[in-house]
Amino acid sequence: MVGLSLGEKHFIHGGIAQDLRSDGRKRLTYRPIYVETGVIPQANGSARVRMGGTDVIATVKAELGRPSQLQPDKGKVSIHIDCSSTAEPVFEGRGGEELSTELSVSLQRSLLGGKSGSGAGIDLSSLVVVEGKICWDLYIDGLVVCSDGNLLDALGAAIKAALSNTGIPRVQVASSASGDEDQPEVDISDEEFLQFDTSGVPVIVTLTKVGKHYIADATAEEESQMSSAVSISVNRKGHICGLTKRGGAGLDPSIILDMISVAKHVSEKLMNKLDSEIAAAEASEDES
Amino acid sequence: MEFVSPEGLRLDGRRPTEMRQIRAELGAVAKADGSAVFEMGNTKVVAAVYGPREVQNRSQQLSDQALVRCEYSMANFSTGDRMRKPKGDRRSTEISLVIRQTMEACIMTHLMPRSQIDIFVQVLQADGGTRSACINAASLALADAGIPMRDLVTSCSSGYLNSTPLLDLNYVEDSAGGPDVTVGILPKLDRVTLLQRIS
Repeated sequence: MVGLSLGEKHFIHGGIAQDLRSDGRKRLTYRPIYVETGVIPQANGSARVRMGGTDVIATVKAELGRPSQLQPDKGKVSIHIDCSSTAEPVFEGRGGEELSTELSVSLQRSLLGGKSGSGAGIDLSSLVVVEGKICWDLYIDGLVVCSDGNLLDALGAAIKAALSNTGIPRVQVASSASGDEDQPEVDISDEEFLQFDTSGVPVIVTLTKVGKHYIADATAEEESQMSSAVSISVNRKGHICGLTKRGGAGLDPSIILDMISVAKHVSEKLMNKLDSEIAAAEASEDES
Repeated sequence: MEFVSPEGLRLDGRRPTEMRQIRAELGAVAKADGSAVFEMGNTKVVAAVYGPREVQNRSQQLSDQALVRCEYSMANFSTGDRMRKPKGDRRSTEISLVIRQTMEACIMTHLMPRSQIDIFVQVLQADGGTRSACINAASLALADAGIPMRDLVTSCSSGYLNSTPLLDLNYVEDSAGGPDVTVGILPKLDRVTLLQRIS
């Protein structure tokens, strides 16, 4: 919870109107992003992303499972976010559940495409081992360790970094198993790992409307003054993958269109920055 | 199963009375009043302290001392197999209580009447000894928050396997079924504040 005096509120509004925010940023500038990969060795892939005071961890765990009957040629991916009470005392007990669910659902919409799995950032058919029999189930878990605004963008970035850090063991199917009913036997390699193609995973850009203007990467103080926020996920090709609006106030449709084109422009910079940070993190992990 | 080799080395290559490597970092959670990350081998926990501040629930307010609260939670990815447990299962509640009682014993609560101190502990990776790691982390986070304390509590576990006493059990040794004990002491005052024997 953010407690702000009238003067502080005025200062935030005035700064945004003049394109100079309290921390010296312009309206559409992100805070510096720090990426660390391989932070949780027990997972198949993990990353920690810090943007100012916001600190999140994302992990990817892969388990062998059965593909669903409706999509026998696709693997399954689920995203679950947890807000730790270390981030904010109000998250104690079940207090963080509402926000956790909201974040999980937004991320699922942005990254996993439609119900049929089309348009997903991850190529779901690459997760299939034997069609209709065995596939990889990916469990993506996010944890908010410290929250200072813009959790969705940070979690999106962390998931992207964790996925590029993920190695799925190579699976060999024993050829002898040809029974129609039985699950074929598989041999999971513990030496060979397959990397994902994460170039299609979108980044999420949240534009928060404060007063007449909208800003990127809002801090908790700025978020407390928002009227509404639009989260837009954009992939490398510049295509929109998902769109969510939060907040009570309504938005003029022309502003939404304007926001989308701005978000597309901002996402290019964010994507490049994130890719170079992920590459640097992977390089420093290999060294140590 | 053989937990101590004939040469006197444990599964992870330690001697029986050798601890795992420890690492601590203060100020990991920027928004908290005090915070710490504590690692014992592969076990890694984050602790954050909020307070002393106004009591949120007036009925719990104590007029002669501070109210200390604690919540322990485990991340879904902290264990080897992914688990999804709701918050507040019995084990978490028990550990929350243990941490609270241990920390209450060292905080000078009489100096901060009518206030509340919240300690939140989050396990990022569990590889045995989470109880001790949490207490060490909470102790550091309280110190980082500048809360007056009698001493810094330190904690470690030990067990007994293959007729050898072992210090600082990891997950494999912990789940072997032998007796183990977690001890918390105030080193300068030379007092024991926590003593628990499990299984």
